[in-house]
Amino acid sequence: MKRVGKPVFFIVLVLIAALTYTAFFGIYTYNGDIQNTIVKGANDIRWGIDIRGGVDVTFSPPEGYDATDDEMAAAESVIKVRLVTQNITDSEVYTDYNKDRIIVRFPWKADETNFDPQSAIAELGETAMLTFREGKEVDESGKPTGVTAENIILTGSDVKKAEPRVLQDKNQYVVSLELEESGKQKFADATTRLAGKGVISIWMDDVLISYPNVDDPITDGNAMISGGFTAASAKDLADKINSGALPFKLETENYNAINPTLGLGAKDAMVLAGGIAFALVAIFIIAIYRLPGVVAMIALTGQMACTIAAITGFFPFIPSFTLTLPGIAGIILSIGVGVDANVITSERIKEEINTGKSLDGCIDLGYSRAFTAIFDSNITVVFVAVILMGAFGPPSSLFATILSPLFRFFGQSTAGAVYSFGYTLLVGIILNFVFGVTASRLMLKSLSKFKPLRKAWLYGGKK
Amino acid sequence: MKHDFVSKNKIFYTISICLMALTLILTFVIGLNLDIQFKGGAIISYSYTGDVNANDVQSLAASTIGEKVNVQGKTDVATGKSTFDVSLAATKGLPVETIDKLTKALQEKYPDNAVTMTSSNNVDPTIGREFFAKCMVAVAFASLVMVVYIAFRFKRIGGWSAGVMCMLALLHDMVLVYATFIVCQFPINENFVVVILTILGYSINNTIVVYDRIRENKRLGGSKLSIRELVNKSLGQSITRAVNTTVSTVIALAVICIVAMLYGVNSILSFAFPMIIGMISGVYSSLFIAPTLWVVWQEHKINKKKAEPAKA
Repeated sequence: MKRVGKPVFFIVLVLIAALTYTAFFGIYTYNGDIQNTIVKGANDIRWGIDIRGGVDVTFSPPEGYDATDDEMAAAESVIKVRLVTQNITDSEVYTDYNKDRIIVRFPWKADETNFDPQSAIAELGETAMLTFREGKEVDESGKPTGVTAENIILTGSDVKKAEPRVLQDKNQYVVSLELEESGKQKFADATTRLAGKGVISIWMDDVLISYPNVDDPITDGNAMISGGFTAASAKDLADKINSGALPFKLETENYNAINPTLGLGAKDAMVLAGGIAFALVAIFIIAIYRLPGVVAMIALTGQMACTIAAITGFFPFIPSFTLTLPGIAGIILSIGVGVDANVITSERIKEEINTGKSLDGCIDLGYSRAFTAIFDSNITVVFVAVILMGAFGPPSSLFATILSPLFRFFGQSTAGAVYSFGYTLLVGIILNFVFGVTASRLMLKSLSKFKPLRKAWLYGGKK
Repeated sequence: MKHDFVSKNKIFYTISICLMALTLILTFVIGLNLDIQFKGGAIISYSYTGDVNANDVQSLAASTIGEKVNVQGKTDVATGKSTFDVSLAATKGLPVETIDKLTKALQEKYPDNAVTMTSSNNVDPTIGREFFAKCMVAVAFASLVMVVYIAFRFKRIGGWSAGVMCMLALLHDMVLVYATFIVCQFPINENFVVVILTILGYSINNTIVVYDRIRENKRLGGSKLSIRELVNKSLGQSITRAVNTTVSTVIALAVICIVAMLYGVNSILSFAFPMIIGMISGVYSSLFIAPTLWVVWQEHKINKKKAEPAKA
């Protein structure tokens, strides 16, 4: 390593202090009473449902019914629409096509006092009421009114199938619609009447999902909805329309609901415990390792702050992450491993000092000899973290894709909590290389340039 | 400071084997408390004020649900709140509507006791078993990857044997974590898997630090030292670090345990406490089980070679 000058310690210290402050407290600007978040602080952490309460539910079709992939996609779209109508925005929905399961997880809102997950769950699983209605008249709350409320042209059971398609010649995405015998005549009459001048609106429950203009009369029961679709939005609309033709209701005998008050006490307790634990470990480490101990605790503070930053979505390239109780365990383990990296190095420096070498040589030797141990032991923990993220993460994530040959037989699990453990552990270990190895080395080398700090005793040597 | 750890190996093995045998016995005596998360089932918790008779709740719940149920009352020391858990005797989940009915029935019967549902856990047995199997595969796969990695990184000191001995030490730690769950009667659930995985990472970390020292000493000291001396020297150099690291992590976990106990947060207590036991076991096995077993293996190999020179 190149020569490290005296100012380096202060630069690293200021950087860590700034990072710690912003990671914990965030940066906000105030415009009157409106708070704008520029950098998210620890208060913006998204706590998992095991901490702040919420619902984790697995839906499936009735037993014995083998749903097709299209049906599952349609069922998922129903749930997504319903979550939005129930004002639940912070939800996760995964569909497992192999096992015909839909996993839904959403936290209880903090200001909600009436804890009634049963009705929310029951409502999500209901069969969707799909209607095609004349016109697009809505009242102020967005519900159908006037002729739109009165004249229902088709219901879900009149629809055979909706499909996203590409018109090759025009290079345009459309949704094709195929009707059942029961719907053909009704649709033919309505479209003949409305052709060229009217609109048919399509509704799921009381939510307007599309309102195409009627261009021509459609008499053979095959319609086409066009107009500015992308591949994704065409599929989305087709899924929603298909939901009206679903022959089953989603059932669940697998769900967990946790009252928010149960979890919030846990959160406060953990924050308190974390603070006390950090202080005690600091006293212990500094008492034993003196100057390298002080440096170690500064580095650890940085590691912890950066871990929190990686959870809150502090960095623009890392999305925010849900923190669960196992996620906190992951932080504890990575801090433990971080302490260890510093302890290994400090022990090594002490050993070298006691053989009577020069101080600068000892510090260099300490870090370089400790590195292989730190590297090998940290890499193995990284393996554990990656395997966990692959096994228990969302199916589309990187690690899950890599490990899918191993775990695809098991179906998706409901254990989002274990995924959180893997994530905090992985982040913590990576940061350990940044702080526990690099930052602490820079700080210690820089400090050792100061004359009063060159006494062997400060590094664990004898007086 | 010179210690002869290796020749005391018989003592270490005896202690460990006794502990494992004890665990096995305890499993049969106390019994395994598999959480509904893995075996399927339903537990619904309610909080209430005033007096509610558990037997009355039980008969009401049984008739509302139409299944055999158990009711257990609890009072939280910290908050002074009373709760009762209604659990289904059969291992299956309940439909949402049934639980809704039960809540309404309870609220009707005890209108003055502010009965409110605090949590409900319903696990379909198929999904529960599948989750359990997936956890086990994840643990097994993680262990396999470690053995291969150690075999590769520690070729210089007989990688495969080092990897396998490390695994044995890990198994030892996992058994002790499991024993803690049994003795404390914590349910075997997701927490258990998280603790097992944490200890897996932690114990591997410890063992590798020791192996690293053996590898380095072998490189520096060449073949002047016997295997026994080599390991003794390496252990002597690693022990302070191992103890100090463990003390710091155990301090942190102990604080968490105490706070969790004071606040009555059982979900945290049931992972923090077994983790302490696992960490202590991890440092013990990394220092005294894995390396000493490795010595036994290596010496056995050398003796075999010596016994067969005639063939060459």
